[in-house]
This record gives sequence, structure tokens and C-alpha cells, in this order.
Amino acid sequence: MEQDAQLVQQCLQGDGSAWEELVRRHSRRIFNICYRFTGNGGEAEDLSQEVFLRVYRTLASYRSAHGGFATWVTSVTRNLLIDHYRRTKRDRMTDSLDDAMPVVENKESAGRRPDQQLLLNELSSQVQTALTKLSPELREAVILRDLQQLEYIEIQRVLSVPEGTVKSRINRGRIELARILQQMGVRPS
Amino acid sequence: MIWTCEQIEARLSDYLDDAMTRNDRVSFEGHVADCERCAPLVAHLSKLLTSMHVMEQIEPPPRLIYAILDNTLGKREPVTGWRAIFGWFEGISTMRLAYGALSVAGTFAILLTTLGFSFTKPKLADLRPATIYRNADRQAHLVYAKGTKFVNDLRVVSEIQSRLRQDNDMPTSQEGIVPSREKQPGQTDGSKPTTPRQQNRANDLTRHIEILADELPVWAGHLSVPMFADSMVARRQP
Repeated sequence: MEQDAQLVQQCLQGDGSAWEELVRRHSRRIFNICYRFTGNGGEAEDLSQEVFLRVYRTLASYRSAHGGFATWVTSVTRNLLIDHYRRTKRDRMTDSLDDAMPVVENKESAGRRPDQQLLLNELSSQVQTALTKLSPELREAVILRDLQQLEYIEIQRVLSVPEGTVKSRINRGRIELARILQQMGVRPS
Repeated sequence: MIWTCEQIEARLSDYLDDAMTRNDRVSFEGHVADCERCAPLVAHLSKLLTSMHVMEQIEPPPRLIYAILDNTLGKREPVTGWRAIFGWFEGISTMRLAYGALSVAGTFAILLTTLGFSFTKPKLADLRPATIYRNADRQAHLVYAKGTKFVNDLRVVSEIQSRLRQDNDMPTSQEGIVPSREKQPGQTDGSKPTTPRQQNRANDLTRHIEILADELPVWAGHLSVPMFADSMVARRQP
């Protein structure tokens, strides 16, 4: 976290390599949030670029005392995703899942057997489908808590809502997600 | 306390995140164990969250980082001229790689020197495979010969030392026979031999070398022998 703050300071002094380092450190996580929220690789890529462009432009407004850089970037991402959701709501009515770009699942299997990894990849894809059926408020809460594994306090900062609301959204989101997956006939082993 | 299904749903995340008091947990589990509606939901969600927590991050396309950098820092200018030619050097100019390169260069220098290549007077002919082979063969034989000579020399020296030690341990005939008496300073008792003891040792040393030279004729040409051989010859001749 301190290293991020130091890199931000270097960026503000015009150090391009510090910015590159920041991008390398956070781009994967931001892409994942965008992908989990939109369910589309191409959109996630465009949104990730937009996030970093916005972060770059507003870097001077970042204050390390108000939280870590990662939380701040996540907050920017979340705001942009909500904007994007509202902007594209009408388009989605006629959208088809056929044009969703496939994404490459990470091949690092952390010592799992190939069959276990295959099942996990399949479940990941099913969870992704189920996530897109959640309302954006519940979706973002579940993504941040259960896929990005943020603490409640961090989610509270990102979403700028009270702790009770965060807990309630996560709880409702999880139950909703489980019911959607049950309806899809998915049974995690 | 009896919990309802609505209460179970409301506290489900607290249960799964282990953020419940012990009493609440007991009440929660008591209801779930008997409820046909809540039990499958809790079991399903518990497994789902476990799976979600071990799901790996999705790998973004490699072009993403370059696209972000192009959008923010601007398009990178294509490198031309000397920078294009020596650009690769920047990549290997880290301390670790420089140290590794230095080690490799040092190893090559030692190998080349061993194979007879002279850095002060470099000749292309020295780098020919036939010359390298010949030099390597010569060096190997030289090293072997030097090593053998060194070991043999050590054995000769060790043999001399052990003979001398044996000699020192043996009492002289006079010391063994005549009991020593208290002697006043500056007074002689006539019992000691007139020849100094050092002279006896020198004679013994010569004798031992003669014996060794007889026993080890092959090594007579090495190490100490040239010096002593002359003296031995002189001594043998009356």
C-alpha cells in the first residue's frame, strides 16, 4: 500500500515508469471486476482502459490518508461501471450473449487436479452468467466480497454506503445468486 | 430462542463469514438442521462461496497494459538509430545480469589462458581447434606431471623427516652407557665425545639420503637430490 502511494507521488512528478508500474500492479484486478460485472471480455477491456484514463487524470486528487490506492481505484471502477450500466441499459434489452468475447481463464491451478480445475472453470463460467442476472447493486457487492475478497470496511469505502447497507446487499446478493444457480441446475461440489 | 426462516436468511452471511456469537450460531444451526427449506440453501451457498473464493483471476489480454499506457502516456515513438541497435543493452544492464556476464567472461578468460591463448600477444592461430586441442593436451600432461612430482617430493621429505625423528628418539651410545654426573660450569669430565652433536646429525642426514637414494633411484633426479647427490658422490669417494 505504501509502495502504491510512493508510486503515485512519482507519477505526479512526471515519472512515466512509476505510472507503468501502477498499471501493471492493478490492471488485472480491475479487468476482473469489469469482466465479472459486464460478463463480456471486450467491454471489460474497454472499461479497464477508461478506468485507468480516469485515474490518470484525477491522480492528483488521490489522498493516501483516506484509504489505499487499490480501494480508490476500485471505487473509480465501480462508479464507472454503474455509469456504464445505466448508459447501456437500453442496449442490453436487445443484446445477445452470442457476441460476448471469450476470455482466457487463468491457467495457474494452485495444485488442483485437471478434472477439479475443469469443474472450477465451468462453475466460474456459470457464476458469471448468474451474476449478470443480479441487480447492479447486489452484483457489485458480491463481486467485491466474494470474487475480489475485499473486507466489509473496504467495500463500504468503495460503495460509499453505510456498513449495514453493505452487509444487507452482500447477503441478498449471495442468496439471489445461489437461487439463480439452483434454477440453472448448478450444484457446486 | 427459536429462529424463523426469515431470520435465517437475514443472518446467513454472518453465519458464513463467521461473524456470529456462539449462542446465535447454536440457534442458527438448530433451525437449519430441522428446516427443509433452509438446509439446502445454506449447504448450497456454503459450497458456492468456497468455490468462488478459490476461483482464479481471469487473465486480461496482454495488449491491455500497452493500450492503457498508450491512452495515458501517449503513443510510444518507434526507436530508431543507435538506440534501436543498442536498445537491448538496457534490458540486460541490471546488476544481477552484469554480475553474471562478468562471471562468464572471467570463466572464458581462465579457460582461454589455460588453453594457451595469450591476451598480451593474441594470435588468431591460437584459436584454431587443432591448436586448442594440442595446447589443452599439453596443459593436461603438464599439470599431471607437476602433480605427480609434487606428491613424490612430499613423500621423500616425509621419509627424511621420519628417519630423522627415529634417529632423535634413539639415545647415543655414550648417553646410554655413561651416567651423567653433576658438572660445574667450564669443567670437562672427558666423558663426552669430542665431535659436536650437530656434526653427528649432519652425518646422519647424509647417511639417510644415501640410503633413500639407493632405495628410490627413480626419484634421484628430483627435488633435493641434485644438491645432495654431489655431496654423496664426494663422500663415497675416499
